[in-house]
Amino acid sequence: MTLTPQKLVLRSILAGSILLGVMVACVWIGSQEVSLVEVLKGPGVEGSPNIQYIIFMQERLPRICLAAIVGAALACAGVVFQAILRNPLADPYILGVSSGAGLGSIVAVLFSGTVIYGKIAGHFGWISEATGMSSLMIMAFVGAMLTVWLVWAIGRVTGRNHVTGLLLAGVVVNAFFSALIMFLLSIARARQLQSTIFWLMGCMILPENPLMVWFSGGVVLLGIVCLLMLGNSLNILSFGSEDAQSLGVPVKRTCFLAFACAALITSVAVSLSGLIGFVGLVVPHAVRLVVGPDHRLLIPLSAITGAAFLVVADTIARVVIAPAILPVGVITALVGGPFFLILLIRYTKNIQWGPA
Amino acid sequence: MSLIEFDKVSFGYEQVPILKDLTLSVQTNLFWAIIGPNGSGKSTFLNLLSGQIKPQHGTVCVDQQVITAMNTAQRAQKISLVRQEFIPVFGYSVFQTVMMARYARQSRRLFENAADRKAVHAALEATDTLNFAERPLDHLSGGERQRVFIARALAQETPILLLDEPTSHLDLKHQIKIFDLLKQMQTQQGKTILLVTHDINLAVQYCDRVLLLGSDEAFFQGPPEQVLDSGRIESIFGVQGYQGRIQKEKFFVPLGRFSKDRPG
Repeated sequence: MTLTPQKLVLRSILAGSILLGVMVACVWIGSQEVSLVEVLKGPGVEGSPNIQYIIFMQERLPRICLAAIVGAALACAGVVFQAILRNPLADPYILGVSSGAGLGSIVAVLFSGTVIYGKIAGHFGWISEATGMSSLMIMAFVGAMLTVWLVWAIGRVTGRNHVTGLLLAGVVVNAFFSALIMFLLSIARARQLQSTIFWLMGCMILPENPLMVWFSGGVVLLGIVCLLMLGNSLNILSFGSEDAQSLGVPVKRTCFLAFACAALITSVAVSLSGLIGFVGLVVPHAVRLVVGPDHRLLIPLSAITGAAFLVVADTIARVVIAPAILPVGVITALVGGPFFLILLIRYTKNIQWGPA
Repeated sequence: MSLIEFDKVSFGYEQVPILKDLTLSVQTNLFWAIIGPNGSGKSTFLNLLSGQIKPQHGTVCVDQQVITAMNTAQRAQKISLVRQEFIPVFGYSVFQTVMMARYARQSRRLFENAADRKAVHAALEATDTLNFAERPLDHLSGGERQRVFIARALAQETPILLLDEPTSHLDLKHQIKIFDLLKQMQTQQGKTILLVTHDINLAVQYCDRVLLLGSDEAFFQGPPEQVLDSGRIESIFGVQGYQGRIQKEKFFVPLGRFSKDRPG
């Protein structure tokens, strides 16, 4: 059973149309009734704006797109961490990469007014100018990258060939960063506090600039395409670095590139919607059950499925205590927590871990 | 000209020398066994040969090229590696696993072509693994899985095949099956094989040359008949043993409880 380009495209289109169906279905669900007929009437005239059109165009649609982007990013990052760390329980949230990115973002938010931050940001202003990324996103990326490095280094010391060693490293990193985040929040001004806490719980908050959604979508798409191109290398790397080296994979360079892409899309997701857990754990496993472990299929299909998963989860979050909105991270954790436990029991029982 | 040249190679970790002034030349199409007690440098030897570590002194050449000067893809077209039996984390099928051998020849292509499929098919056929090509690796027995990894090494189409204790987890029948298969690779496909093993008797039966590494940087090389002499084995491994012959070939039985009343 070889993978042909036709098969890849066909399955991606099939999954993509399911995603589209899910998005179209979810966009009509919400606390406020919105009908297609009303929306099609347009923005309305001056003085009597079409409320349904405004809700649809400025709330529902961007929010659904945002959820899709974040879901795709987190699911793909999960696939990559699982492959390279050779740990089926890896996920950007569990490893602490999300909280690393979160810490970076909070530093950016809280210190954006201070003199020191202004001076440092002044030096690196060209990065934002060159890439169009906000300083928040850059700080999130720096945080994510540092955490990936930290977890990787700890994992090496504790023995990469043990499933729980790396998870413990993630737990410790998570706890440490949470402490730093809480410290920063406790010295923050009250005005910033509630929105930041809400964001930390994992919540789709629409960015003030609607272009940001498109820009983030582009960055995530770029990251996913890069990772797809690394599909063969990721397949081989999941056999361990010794095998990968002997099969001709430049291990260090490939790992760095894959980690950088995964950290990038994770940090975009985190800077958009805070800490949403378990998407990168649940989705790759479900997709692997259907299409097998080949990363050339796994990456695009996990992206699409992750997008659909988070769109549905966010829709549930919007309606379950309507008119109030639940942080979507609550929904994904409620699904992902038990799922994680089942996997933990399964893998610590059955898998014999080869030498690193 | 020989295929592999070790020229006065030394390697050690922080004042613990492992290999010292190792000079060795491996002719093409021979089956070598690398034997020695734990810590004598067998793995170091393999890592030096595969270019994963750099010698502190001396050079290692493959095909007259210094191995550490080649890039990863170039090395992967010269040397393939089979290591101790293990079960990978994800359930790749036999076919997918063997196809990974083609990576070094795909030069960033995302999809395999007809030549890749042909090589994989031939490798599966040669190792008698074709009939379970679609089964996932974790559903196979240990012996079957090792045959798949040998198939992967074949599909890599390298002149040199390295094996690091490939039979250490297998029962007697499957050990012999793997050695038969390797011998077949040597005679039918012209491979040069270097195999790290603890099994002196299988090495005597199957290998043309032996590199015996002692724990004190000493090394002995040559035909098994000459190198694997019972006095030398006893001193290097620190065991007593009984050496006999079956059809002119030597065999060696280490004696534990029977040391005192050894025959002869």
